[in-house]
Amino acid sequence: MAAPDSGLSRRRLLGGAGAGVAVGAAAGFGVGRWTDGGTASAAPTGGLDAVDLNSSTDFYTGAHQSGIDTPQQRYCVFMTFDLTASTAQELQVLLARWSAAIAQCMAGEPVGSVAPDRAGAVAVDTGEALDLGPASLTVTVGLGPGVFDERLGLASRKPKLLADLPALPSDQLRPELSGGDLSVQACADDPQVAYHAVRDLARMGRGVVNTRWVVLGFGRASAGPGQSTPRNLMGFKDGTRNIKESADLDEFVWVEDDVDWMNGGGTYQVARKIRMDIEIWDADDVADQQRIFARFKEDGAPLTGNHEFDTPDFSATDDTGQPVIDPTSHDAHAAHEHNNGIRIFRRGYNFTDGINEVGQLDAGLMFVAYMNDPDHFIQLQTRLGRSDALNEYIAHIGSGIFAVPPAPKKGSYLAQGLF
Amino acid sequence: MPSRLRSGVGLLAAAAVAASLAGCGSDDSSTDAAGSDSTSGGSSTEGASDSGVSQVAITMANQGGADTCTLDHDSAQAGPVTFTVTNQSATGLTEVELLQDQKILGEKESLAPGLPSVEFTVTLGGGDYQIYCPGGDPELVPFTVTGAAATEPVGDTQQALQDGATDYATYVDDQVASMVRGAQGLQAAAESGDLPAAQNAYANARIYYERIESDVDGFVLDGFPPTDNHGNLDYLIDMRASNLDPDVGWHGFHAVERDLFGRQAITGSTKQLAAELTDNVTKLSTLAKTLTYKPEDLANGAAGLLEEVQANKISGEEEEFSHIDLVDFAGNVEGAQQSFAYLKPGLGQIDGTLTDTIEQRFDDVTAMLDTYRDPNELGGYQRYTPELKKSEANQLSQTVQALQDSLSRLAEKVATA
Repeated sequence: MAAPDSGLSRRRLLGGAGAGVAVGAAAGFGVGRWTDGGTASAAPTGGLDAVDLNSSTDFYTGAHQSGIDTPQQRYCVFMTFDLTASTAQELQVLLARWSAAIAQCMAGEPVGSVAPDRAGAVAVDTGEALDLGPASLTVTVGLGPGVFDERLGLASRKPKLLADLPALPSDQLRPELSGGDLSVQACADDPQVAYHAVRDLARMGRGVVNTRWVVLGFGRASAGPGQSTPRNLMGFKDGTRNIKESADLDEFVWVEDDVDWMNGGGTYQVARKIRMDIEIWDADDVADQQRIFARFKEDGAPLTGNHEFDTPDFSATDDTGQPVIDPTSHDAHAAHEHNNGIRIFRRGYNFTDGINEVGQLDAGLMFVAYMNDPDHFIQLQTRLGRSDALNEYIAHIGSGIFAVPPAPKKGSYLAQGLF
Repeated sequence: MPSRLRSGVGLLAAAAVAASLAGCGSDDSSTDAAGSDSTSGGSSTEGASDSGVSQVAITMANQGGADTCTLDHDSAQAGPVTFTVTNQSATGLTEVELLQDQKILGEKESLAPGLPSVEFTVTLGGGDYQIYCPGGDPELVPFTVTGAAATEPVGDTQQALQDGATDYATYVDDQVASMVRGAQGLQAAAESGDLPAAQNAYANARIYYERIESDVDGFVLDGFPPTDNHGNLDYLIDMRASNLDPDVGWHGFHAVERDLFGRQAITGSTKQLAAELTDNVTKLSTLAKTLTYKPEDLANGAAGLLEEVQANKISGEEEEFSHIDLVDFAGNVEGAQQSFAYLKPGLGQIDGTLTDTIEQRFDDVTAMLDTYRDPNELGGYQRYTPELKKSEANQLSQTVQALQDSLSRLAEKVATA
């Protein structure tokens, strides 16, 4: 593998040399002369994001559904459902009931009685989150392309850009881990609170929706605004260059000119279950791992920088004339500089499914991203799927796309304008 | 707890979702009831009369942190009364019932903020009633009807349910009698040594027990303590290999199944097992005739049969050797449907919506089961092979679960009659 000379590329050997030269002016410099990155280093400080289990978010406040630009919680359950309903009204009632139940759960309240007085009664709320607090729960609901097929007569109301994702390079999708007519993303700082929400929504949905696939995520693998950058299961900081500013969210995430019921805060959600071959990864030397990500493992700085938030210099070469950042590296492929400025907002989680059939740890990244045009993901993944150096260690095994309507106002429900 | 979060969002609501339904739901204010009636009286007036029908609006709202049910009129004149229910903003409330003496006279479910108003009409005689909003603060709101007391005595529903339960005993007796004949047929085929005939007899005998097993699985023979499986008739008749008690050994249908389908042989032991099975189901038939049923027994029994489907049939554990699990599956579903059918005349008076839902979901399950019918196979259904299980179990399980969830609410409703 064509790793750059590890002696030269170690950041520890670089710090301080040639201080004061801005990154932007440093093109063509050898690796050994790299400098502090200057203004791009405004990293959020403090790796310990505080958790307050009494903290809550209001379901009805704001234009966007919570769980997108909300500070990312520690745990997440992502589940999709297949519609079995034959009428739009059944979906309508379900979305209304889900909305009310989500509002209850996000406030830390049960969705109904845990122990009804009446003889013979079954519980309305399943009870496992009783007294656990809201734990910053957010529940985000999306509608997949299947909602708008011939079954329910809603074809004319379909979001403009909602369509099944095309087959993409390197896809290894498994049908049982892909698709779905509805998605529910429940994230919280207590996994039991998140699971309770999904469980009770699934229960409420029986007869209208069947469960399709689910991923239980832990250890957020993206950073939202104001958060320190966490690590994926490959040990690297993930999400350093994620969208953080609200102006960027406006530009890249929220739709503006879609069908009426999506406007005013809607977005598109792309979910990808990405398996990581972590044993194989762990046997790769760190220099090669750093080449693949184009970042230093410990502090997340780009190979051309000193600090995590330094802007990578994709044109920099080392003393031998080789690019410091491998053009096939994950960062190089994913960079907006190489994708016509396209950016997506990632909100992923690590996951494990236990041990696979050959005894290896079955784990990876539950990639969830939000964008105002799904083609942005398609473009990025087409490029990544073709020649990302990381492809040797990962496989996209699950996939889904959903239109995420705006947050409902109090007294209304999700996607109310659809009906 | 929710109150501190919800204050101050009222102004935002004015921006409104573009196309809201039926004009309801987007207004935060609890003083502007969204009910469709046009009355404007205070809270202690009688419901306005419209062509002889009194109109009462029930409004659900979140006020000051509490979910409340508010009536625009707390009384009405005897006669038909139409209740129009609107959930403006009460996220914790999904249901409203009209009660008298704990009995449900009318109700609406699946209510949520933003949905169109719904209404139900009941003919009421003079007396005291209550509007019950589970989870509301308060849950019970008094409602008074003035005028002549009801001419129809309350209690019809209860009688209808009890009549159904009484008649259901006849159904169980029929099934048990058929089961005895089935076991005798199996025994005769085993005695003859004709393996295909015995396999066929096995498949034909199974369904009767599966239809009623939740009613008859509790018998302990005289002289045995309840913990001793030597006297547990269900153990002796229907135990599977996975739950064997080593002290008692294997008896009953599935021990015979192992011989006929697993070992593909009829031995002296097979014949002995078959004879013993006939003996035990005959004992069961005698005991089953002593059973009497209350309406809630039918409700719980139906739910129990569906638990059997989920736990043992969809998993393919029940018929490990013969793979006729779908025959048992159909038997459990048919038995549950019979219980429901006997309750239906009464249940329809208590909760027409739930009755309709359960009926629809039985239809869904039956339609799905029909796709597996195969007259050339034992018992009339495809064998539930590992391959079929792999491709079909998910769909089977989720369709049954939808039925099971609605059926699980039956006992509570029946108990209110």
